[in-house]
Amino acid sequence: MKTLILGEILNGTLSSGTLEIIKKAQDESLDYQVVTIGSDDVPKIGCESFKQTYIKRSSESLQFSKVTDLITKIVNDEGINLILGSSTYLCRDLISFISVDLNSSPVSNVIDFEINGDVVSTINSINGGESLYKSNIESDHSLLLIRPKSFEPADVELNDNFETIEVENSDVSIFDIYKEEKTGPQLEDSKVVISAGRGLVEKENLVIVEELAAKLNAAIGGTRAIVDAGWMPYSQQVGQTGKTVKPDVYIACGISGATQHQVGMKDSKFIIAINKDEEAPIFQLADLGIVGDTLSVIPKINQNL
Amino acid sequence: MNITVCAKQIPDPANETSYDNGIIVRPEEQVLDDTDRYGIEVALQLKEKFDAEVTIISMGPAGTMKGLQQALQMGADKALYVDDDSLKGANSLMTANVLSELAKTTNADIVIFGTESTDGYSGTVPQQVSRFLNLDCISYVKAIEIGDDVSLTRQTSEGSEKVKMPQNCVISVTAGGVEPRYPNFKDIMAAKSKPIEKVELSTLNITAEQNLEFVGIEALENLKNGEKIIDEGEAFQVIVDKLKELKVI
Repeated sequence: MKTLILGEILNGTLSSGTLEIIKKAQDESLDYQVVTIGSDDVPKIGCESFKQTYIKRSSESLQFSKVTDLITKIVNDEGINLILGSSTYLCRDLISFISVDLNSSPVSNVIDFEINGDVVSTINSINGGESLYKSNIESDHSLLLIRPKSFEPADVELNDNFETIEVENSDVSIFDIYKEEKTGPQLEDSKVVISAGRGLVEKENLVIVEELAAKLNAAIGGTRAIVDAGWMPYSQQVGQTGKTVKPDVYIACGISGATQHQVGMKDSKFIIAINKDEEAPIFQLADLGIVGDTLSVIPKINQNL
Repeated sequence: MNITVCAKQIPDPANETSYDNGIIVRPEEQVLDDTDRYGIEVALQLKEKFDAEVTIISMGPAGTMKGLQQALQMGADKALYVDDDSLKGANSLMTANVLSELAKTTNADIVIFGTESTDGYSGTVPQQVSRFLNLDCISYVKAIEIGDDVSLTRQTSEGSEKVKMPQNCVISVTAGGVEPRYPNFKDIMAAKSKPIEKVELSTLNITAEQNLEFVGIEALENLKNGEKIIDEGEAFQVIVDKLKELKVI
């Protein structure tokens, strides 16, 4: 099946989400090419084993609609039937726009898919990962948004050899850019993740989680409830509408474990949960559960490490 | 200025979602999706500055209309909805098609959404509506500053970026970006007399089609139910020992 993978750039090269989809395309022997959208000058995204087209946008203007026109044109010119992207801010936007052009509804939150003849069958995770939802796409074009970490990343040699298309500026100018300082371990690739929930009672108490994270060289995440409450930025949200993490050790502090949170962390290798409520659903997922007050347990761990 | 906010009535999220033939079962009484409160709040802040009319638009089984009432209680002026059996289980494209046609009937300058619904969470409808309406889409807005101009801060994978709000656009607002207001008793009473109007699907120009065939739902057995220890003051030691065993320290 002729396939287009929407690529993204992170640290000057293809993002892990993109590499994961490339691996799946290789395993399924799909006839794939990659179209990468970014603003880097000379990213390392080319490869001997697939065609790479770089849509270079300016970091000074929002050019989504022009980028979308270019991608839709490539899809039509090349007879593409399957379009794959990672569930990121950028790809969610682009796949949504393209779906209108191609009159085919996309499938979001895909964790796996297979091709049978002309039919693309998708699997989504629902109810916090307790169930799988399966459907078949009945369109000439199938558009899939794939959750990060659904596949292993491809191991490919990347170079700077690819075709580049530059995009004209749009009327919507970006007048200020803020790059979050990515110091310390990041949620997506840290071996240890500590997440905080409502059980910490107030924002000021996050300091005990920060102290533990520093000691364990861990990344810090949070539930939607505390992100909504303004304790942490959206970029640190773990769960259905946030990040998916799969660390070696996940420590859930004061998190009850709503299904929306579970889907983002249930595949962690070893899960430790601390919660006052013995009936909290997080304990069903945990390898080690402590029924107790996070505010009392965590400081004692900090003192004894 | 006409501001239109898309809002969804969803089953109370405190209850587990149940499915019938792949479609979410919706009780008579549904509530306003908390996600939409952020979009409504942004609309109300714009209204205070620019003297706008705020219209809620919605699609899905209307039921008792509690969710729509909740949106009006926050301060929106009126609500329009489409409720048609043929839309049961509508995919995101069809939903976006209906909402963009509804938005056209309101002569919206600005159309505002939350980023994704709590029940369906496809997270694609705001962007699809913008493409249907041929408007710029300012997605994942996490902060708004209203002066003579309006500046919107978008969340990106690397951090954030600021843009000036165009005169006509679609905006999606992330959770936590603004603090949704709570209605007081007066607001709740006032909402009772605000108009809620049903729009017939047949009056809208719908081109999207259903393209997803439901195959099945399969339950997974992935519960670990590991060791559970009641803390009597010393449980921290179990965690410390476990962290050592796992070679985290």
